[in-house]
Amino acid sequence: MTLEFWQEEFETLEKKDLQQLQLERLNKTIESACRSLFYGELYSKKKIKPGVIKDISQITELPFTTKQDLRDNFPYGFLSLPKKDIIRLHSSSGTTGNPTVIFHNRHDLDSWANLMARSLFCAGVRDTDVFQNICGYGLFTGGLGFQYGIETLGALSIPAGAGNSLRQIKLMRDYGTTAAHAIPSYLGRLYEVFEAEGLDPKKDTQLKTLVIGAEPHTDAQRKRIEEMYGVRAFNSFGLSEMNGPGVAFECTHQNGLHIWEDSYLVEIIDPETLQPVPDGEYGELVMTTLDREAMPLIRYRTRDITRIIPGECECGRTHRRIDRITGRSDDMFIIKGCNVFPMQIEGVLMKIPEVGSDYMINLETMNGADEMVVEVEVKSDWFRGDIKRLDSLSKTITRQIRDEVLAKPIVKLVEAGSIPKSEGKAIRVTDNRKNGLLN
Amino acid sequence: MAYEVSIFLENKIGHFERITSVLKEAQINIRSMAINDTANGWGILNLIVNDPKKAKKALSEKGVSVALRKVIALEMRDEAGGLDDLLMEVARAEVNFDNAVGRVITETQKAILILNVDDYAESIKKLKKQGVQIIDDQTVYGTSQ
Ligand SMILES: [Zn+2]
Repeated sequence: MTLEFWQEEFETLEKKDLQQLQLERLNKTIESACRSLFYGELYSKKKIKPGVIKDISQITELPFTTKQDLRDNFPYGFLSLPKKDIIRLHSSSGTTGNPTVIFHNRHDLDSWANLMARSLFCAGVRDTDVFQNICGYGLFTGGLGFQYGIETLGALSIPAGAGNSLRQIKLMRDYGTTAAHAIPSYLGRLYEVFEAEGLDPKKDTQLKTLVIGAEPHTDAQRKRIEEMYGVRAFNSFGLSEMNGPGVAFECTHQNGLHIWEDSYLVEIIDPETLQPVPDGEYGELVMTTLDREAMPLIRYRTRDITRIIPGECECGRTHRRIDRITGRSDDMFIIKGCNVFPMQIEGVLMKIPEVGSDYMINLETMNGADEMVVEVEVKSDWFRGDIKRLDSLSKTITRQIRDEVLAKPIVKLVEAGSIPKSEGKAIRVTDNRKNGLLN
Repeated sequence: MAYEVSIFLENKIGHFERITSVLKEAQINIRSMAINDTANGWGILNLIVNDPKKAKKALSEKGVSVALRKVIALEMRDEAGGLDDLLMEVARAEVNFDNAVGRVITETQKAILILNVDDYAESIKKLKKQGVQIIDDQTVYGTSQ
């Protein structure tokens, strides 16, 4: 096997050297953060001074930063540099309250473009590829984030933008697109357009690599996309508060996402106790920027739930891997003492063809005990009229969900079409418990 | 071979009526029905109708989970001991069934027993060997009238 890296000197750093680099960068980050209104005030109140961190594990002594902090200090409260040095901002849509806005100076944009190029290279994209970025440009980070990364890598970029499936297909065929980036749910819809046009992406395009991300998806969905397009699909992870795409990326081993630890300090905490959890256990991802000048963020609570995958990756990169995002800590509910994320249940159902992936989770108090009632649809085309078969299906689902989340559900089979179709990140949980935490 | 129409049904108010109104609209005559309930809030509704294929199509179009299942219809005497005698014959033929529904056909003064079996072809063979009378589809569906 040939080992190939975009930046071998960073990607294969020994653990102690990586930690030394992190320590230097963290102290520099704290120093620059103190120049912002928000951290300046917070840290002087808590008597946190630059250079206070002697060992990287001391990060836990610093306070968290939350999305609410970003909103409360909108728009310029987190700026560490004078406005004249800032050259770009990206922001969330902010449908409720203030938007979340992140500022960059030239260094930040170069650093981000480099991480993005490193990420794409890690997934096997090369300068010989024709890369179609099927993604909204503008304030959203997926457009320009990928754009600069593709250009830094040196591949031919097609800034296709989002939507207009017929035009996407035409671009792919006209220019011989070999790699593309899109959200997983869009790739499903695009495939339907291929079919309607009498085209088969496996034969009628030269696609070999797809980069998918920006919305939670399961490994089964990935496999489905790989089969539909005859490609390898790589999971990408990013969030606008940490620049955008290019935070963590799968390598060609497709076994978790390398999170770039020279640029981000990574912690996984229990969202209830706020204490760190051991590697391998799920919790909320907390991140600190280590290479951002305009707007450093320290111990930012991402709300994304994942875990560190223990062990080393065969590719030779020493940066640790996170697992695919299983949900948001806001979506988590506790039943019978178990922390449950709806994505875990979706993951189980995706593997069972008879029921597909539409589901509802209703938390109920029944006879004084709290129960998790999972409603799943019996798909019409799988129905054979056999009561024994359905009964055993219902038992199988019950067992598999219990094995996954450790709490035994009450599985209710319901008629096809009776559960509202999901719109990406639709809320699938209702809490009707007497002392329910949701709602 | 005769078919019954099997329908996945939740035990909820109005769900049964939804099925019957679809069938009414499609001008389907329901000859007999049986509900197989489970304790889990759903069951399977088995119908013998005059035109199973048309019934399935009409229900499928409304998004109902519906399947056609082969059934065996046997003739029995419409008198005391008729069912018992017939079941003895079925047992002697070593045919296992998991569901049965009986019905009188007024126009012929006969009664029929409808069986769900796991192995359709094998069961037919065994019953024929035992000399049990198997009723033709038209009589089951009642389309001869
Ligand atoms: Zn790797």
